[in-house]
Amino acid sequence: MTKNEKKSLNQSLAEWKLFIYNPTTGEFLGRTAKSWGLILLFYLVFYGFLAALFSFTMWVMLQTLNDEVPKYRDQIPSPGLMVFPKPVTALEYTFSRSDPTSYAGYIEDLKKFLKPYTLEEQKNLTVCPDGALFEQKGPVYVACQFPVSLLQACSGMNDPDFGYSQGNPCILVKMNRIIGLKPEGVPRIDCVSKVGYLQPLVAVQVSFAPNNTGKEVTIECKIDGSANLKSQDDRDKFLGRVMFKITARA
Amino acid sequence: MHQKTPEIYSVELSGTKDIVKTDKGDGKEKYRGLKNNCLELKKKNHKEEFQKELHLDDHKLSNRELEEKYGTDIIMGLSSTRAAELLARDGPNSLTPPKQTPEIVKFLKQMVGGFSILLWVGAFLCWIAYGIQYSSDKSASLNNVYLGCVLGLVVILTGIFAYYQEAKSTNIMSSFNKMIPQQALVIRDSEKKTIPSEQLVVGDIVEVKGGDQIPADIRVLSSQGCRVDNSSLTGESEPQPRSSEFTHENPLETKNICFYSTTCLEVSTSPVGTVTGMVINTGDRTIIGHIASLASGVGNEKTPIAIEIEHFVHIVAGVAVSIGILFFIIAVSLKYRVLDSIIFLIGIIVANVPEGLLATVTVTLSLTAKRMAKKNCLVKNLEAVETLGSTSIICSDKTGTLTQNRMTVAHLWFDNQIFVADTSEDHSNQVFDQSSRTWASLSKIITLCNRVEFKPGQENVPIMKKAVIGDASETALLKFSEVILGDVMEIRKRNRKVAEIPFNSTNKFQLSIHETDDPHDKRLLMVMKGAPERILEKCSTIMINGEEHPLDKSTAKTFHTAYMELGGLGERVLGFCHLYLPADEFPETYSFDIDAMNFPTSSLCFVGLLSMLDPPRSTVPDAVTKCRSAGIKVIMVTGDHPITAKAIAKSVGIISANSETVEDIAHRLNIAVEQVNKQDAKAAVVTGMELKDMSSEQLDEILANYQEIVFARTSPQQKLIIVEGCQRQDAVVAVTGDGVNDSPALKKADIGIAMGIAGSDAAKNAADMVLLDDNFASIITGVEEGRLIFDNLKKTIAYTLTKNIAELCPFLIYIIVGLPLPIGTITILFIDLGTDIIPSIALAYEKAESDIMNRKPRHKKKDRLVNQPLAVYSYLHIGLMQALGAFLVYFTVYAQEGFLPCTLMNLRVEWEKDYVNDLEDSYGQEWTKYQREYLEWTGYTAFFVGILVQQIADLIIRKTRRNSIFQQGLFRNKVIWVGIASQIIIGLILSYGLGSVTALSFTMLRAQYWFVAVPHAILIWVYDEVRKLFIRLYPGSWWDKNMYY
Repeated sequence: MTKNEKKSLNQSLAEWKLFIYNPTTGEFLGRTAKSWGLILLFYLVFYGFLAALFSFTMWVMLQTLNDEVPKYRDQIPSPGLMVFPKPVTALEYTFSRSDPTSYAGYIEDLKKFLKPYTLEEQKNLTVCPDGALFEQKGPVYVACQFPVSLLQACSGMNDPDFGYSQGNPCILVKMNRIIGLKPEGVPRIDCVSKVGYLQPLVAVQVSFAPNNTGKEVTIECKIDGSANLKSQDDRDKFLGRVMFKITARA
Repeated sequence: MHQKTPEIYSVELSGTKDIVKTDKGDGKEKYRGLKNNCLELKKKNHKEEFQKELHLDDHKLSNRELEEKYGTDIIMGLSSTRAAELLARDGPNSLTPPKQTPEIVKFLKQMVGGFSILLWVGAFLCWIAYGIQYSSDKSASLNNVYLGCVLGLVVILTGIFAYYQEAKSTNIMSSFNKMIPQQALVIRDSEKKTIPSEQLVVGDIVEVKGGDQIPADIRVLSSQGCRVDNSSLTGESEPQPRSSEFTHENPLETKNICFYSTTCLEVSTSPVGTVTGMVINTGDRTIIGHIASLASGVGNEKTPIAIEIEHFVHIVAGVAVSIGILFFIIAVSLKYRVLDSIIFLIGIIVANVPEGLLATVTVTLSLTAKRMAKKNCLVKNLEAVETLGSTSIICSDKTGTLTQNRMTVAHLWFDNQIFVADTSEDHSNQVFDQSSRTWASLSKIITLCNRVEFKPGQENVPIMKKAVIGDASETALLKFSEVILGDVMEIRKRNRKVAEIPFNSTNKFQLSIHETDDPHDKRLLMVMKGAPERILEKCSTIMINGEEHPLDKSTAKTFHTAYMELGGLGERVLGFCHLYLPADEFPETYSFDIDAMNFPTSSLCFVGLLSMLDPPRSTVPDAVTKCRSAGIKVIMVTGDHPITAKAIAKSVGIISANSETVEDIAHRLNIAVEQVNKQDAKAAVVTGMELKDMSSEQLDEILANYQEIVFARTSPQQKLIIVEGCQRQDAVVAVTGDGVNDSPALKKADIGIAMGIAGSDAAKNAADMVLLDDNFASIITGVEEGRLIFDNLKKTIAYTLTKNIAELCPFLIYIIVGLPLPIGTITILFIDLGTDIIPSIALAYEKAESDIMNRKPRHKKKDRLVNQPLAVYSYLHIGLMQALGAFLVYFTVYAQEGFLPCTLMNLRVEWEKDYVNDLEDSYGQEWTKYQREYLEWTGYTAFFVGILVQQIADLIIRKTRRNSIFQQGLFRNKVIWVGIASQIIIGLILSYGLGSVTALSFTMLRAQYWFVAVPHAILIWVYDEVRKLFIRLYPGSWWDKNMYY
């Protein structure tokens, strides 16, 4: 029985060898060199044609697009909220007032984020009227100025540490950009927390009382005052709202 | 013509000895099946009984010896207590039913067969992935668990479905298996009792009346005019007389043994033919029982389609596993986490496995099975549907399959001329010259010298279908004369019978005396029929053209020539003569004494000969021709005599008109058989005796060299050997049969075909297919359907495999290029088990592209269901085009929402991070995680729609493999359009109806995205038309070889 098996194993090995290269017919993997040449040539032409076709159809498709404005915005009808500094993993900030290295990353991040908002960077931008929508028809689009001073204590102009060294950390809350979004009413961002906080439009400064150090503070910010900017969605926890935690140690 | 060949059955009777000897000698494969069989018998401790059976000598024993041997009394019977003991010892007198596979095993086989294993692996990988996730993060999402459950559910549901389909087709058969319990009249405790025949034991004395089945193997003790129908055992159509005489050494040939399950024929004469006998074997120990156990010992071969599907599953599973592992390795080396790599692996497996295909194949097969059932081919085993299509040799039984299984008048000889009678099923067209006055006399003899009558109450039944009580030849004559002359009963009434001597085997003639219907003729007419030579002896004159001529040497010679000619046709010949008794010697009042024979029985006037045979069915010659043109060899294998077999073979075209056997050539050239050049002979008639002495090589040589072969006088084992011989030629063998003796061969064959009406239960049990109308021509239908289904399965598989590439590419691109996942696993399942199911079944309704009955049967090992061109063309041509089309839809959706293709590259990691909720698109818009996810689902839906639209084109191009769609007709197969409609409707429901169900990850798609892939779909159609055009233009070219699947 085993003898038979061995023989058949040898046989199948020999068959494989013959399949890989058959010296009598000159076949390699079941095809002669000429046959391989033909088949490769065929696929070269065929796939070349398919690639060209695909590129062409993609090009046609791209022609339907506008450079400035995406064709559809139905998938993002309402903006999400996001906070700065960008958390590394989850939305949790932990720092120690007495240890500058523990918040150096946050300050770096905030500075980087605010850099485009400096007066120098914004001097070419238009000054837009306050309290009204600034609509443009194109073809040349301009952006509105956003004076960083509006962020008051969190602008980094007066306090390069953004309050971290005092134990009153600044967190910037940003509304996601959506092109062509027209909020109805007067939207504002409300933030709620158990500890006291300053309330600029887009920056939250949490002031930790000295006895509160080491405690975790949860803050939720929401867009409010606009009918079409949703802040209540069961599935999307960042749609018009954001929730984050801050822990400050001494 | 009745010379029996005595040793024919000795193979069967000394079977074991022979086999063991041969095996020791050379261990040839020839007897392997039988050897196993013997071993099996040994295992079952049946060996002793088998040996006893071999030395069956009860037919040689006297009544006294029998009584002694079985401890019984012929007059008093067994005592009931003794009978009870024997019943307890031997078990009931019934055949052990063949072992059935337990239902649960069948069910589990469906659960692990085919792709199920692969999907189970996928499901377990899902659960393992969740386990890993859970161990590191307790709040891990349950998605993987759900996916695993869905995969498991898919396997279980498709398994249940396939099991249900199988069970449904098996149930059709179970009605056949119900046997009516039989009663037997037995003498026990000196009393006649009726008991169920199951309770019979050896030594019982039983009485069997005409019309009853023989309840066990019995040794005849006394009988009266009993004849048995052994056709189910030996294939002889003629009734065999049974008496208590020991006439032959061979128990199968001797007259004093009746076999279990054969029938004692009804005879019209009173007293009714009865036989009293002693039971010598019961249940499985009877001859029939042995044959049945021989059948159950033969293993069931895998059907060709099962082999093909296995081959195909191997290919697909091989592709799936190797791509899966390849990309697992690539993913790991691209620094993906192992967990993610496992999830990729699952996706690749799911994309690669056509989950719905095996269920589709089952449905397709059962649709064909239903279609065939309508045409009287009942398929027991679904897979056998295709087997007929690949059949290359049909081994057909003669009696009842090729022939009508009833004696019919075939030829007449009078006025020195042979006339041909119409032997078709209704006898309607009798064209021979009926003007001769000899015919008038002959017809009178046929009508009057006959004792059988039609059963009453059949006025509206066509003559040929009317039931008659009595002997087969008498019945044939009655029907023959009724068709030609009209009301036979009326004629008999007008010619009142005065006296008669019934047929008996010593006289070999039958005689009756009648008044004539001519009122002026006062003479009495004596009519006689019987064995021709005995009749001729009694004659001194012969009637020619109505005139009596003296019977001289030359007329005797013409008689002999005619007799030999008719006998040579394998027909049973009867002679007819008459005599007008002189009115003065035999007045009407004369009292005839049939014992003393006080009337002349010599110097009669010979009128004519009439020959009868069991004629071929009228549809058979045409069917055989069709088989020929379809490249199928038809071999006749029968238990009947070679002369009869050859005659029938010639008349149905199994041996064609211009072919000769070696013996024919020898006869024509007047040389010895050995001198004939065997190459000249196209046909061969091989008897069981010759076969017995042949080695398997010699048999192979005969099977390979002769186109037209008839095997005659074969035993059940020999049928088996013949079938094995054919299978050694790499042929797919179909065996038709009805008798118990056929059942082992039916089982051994690739497809066994039993006769529904005439077939015995044993044959039906062993067969894969039952011909409900017993008509050989129905096989042709089966062949056609089988070939069509093979072609259409190719189309179905090609259709189904194509989209696998379109489902697989997204995963590969996702891993390598880092696009957001284009299509989800669940979405793939919705294609495989949703939109694609009805279209792939619809391909089963496609008509044949060309005359499939004019091509050779497919070669079992060369013409595969899934061949290389099919896989390559589906995967690398159409599949790839589909993938590109679907990607186009995907990219369109993303680009129009703000993510241009270049932005999407390598976006995967950021895209999938839960806490990145301000991911910028190409326009600087920022997306939360959930917004991206929703866009991803829109992408899934887009990709799904892309595949769907192109699958419509794929469905249309798969209608044909060679012809243009316009040749085939775009609208001829309406079911295809039902399929297309179903695709679109299911797609619409998924996108717009269930778009809000998050678990399914479908979204409402903009209407225009349905049309993005349409140009690609058209391209697929055009490309395939070009492919077909070149195949038609340049047959045999490089293109044809590489592109025709």
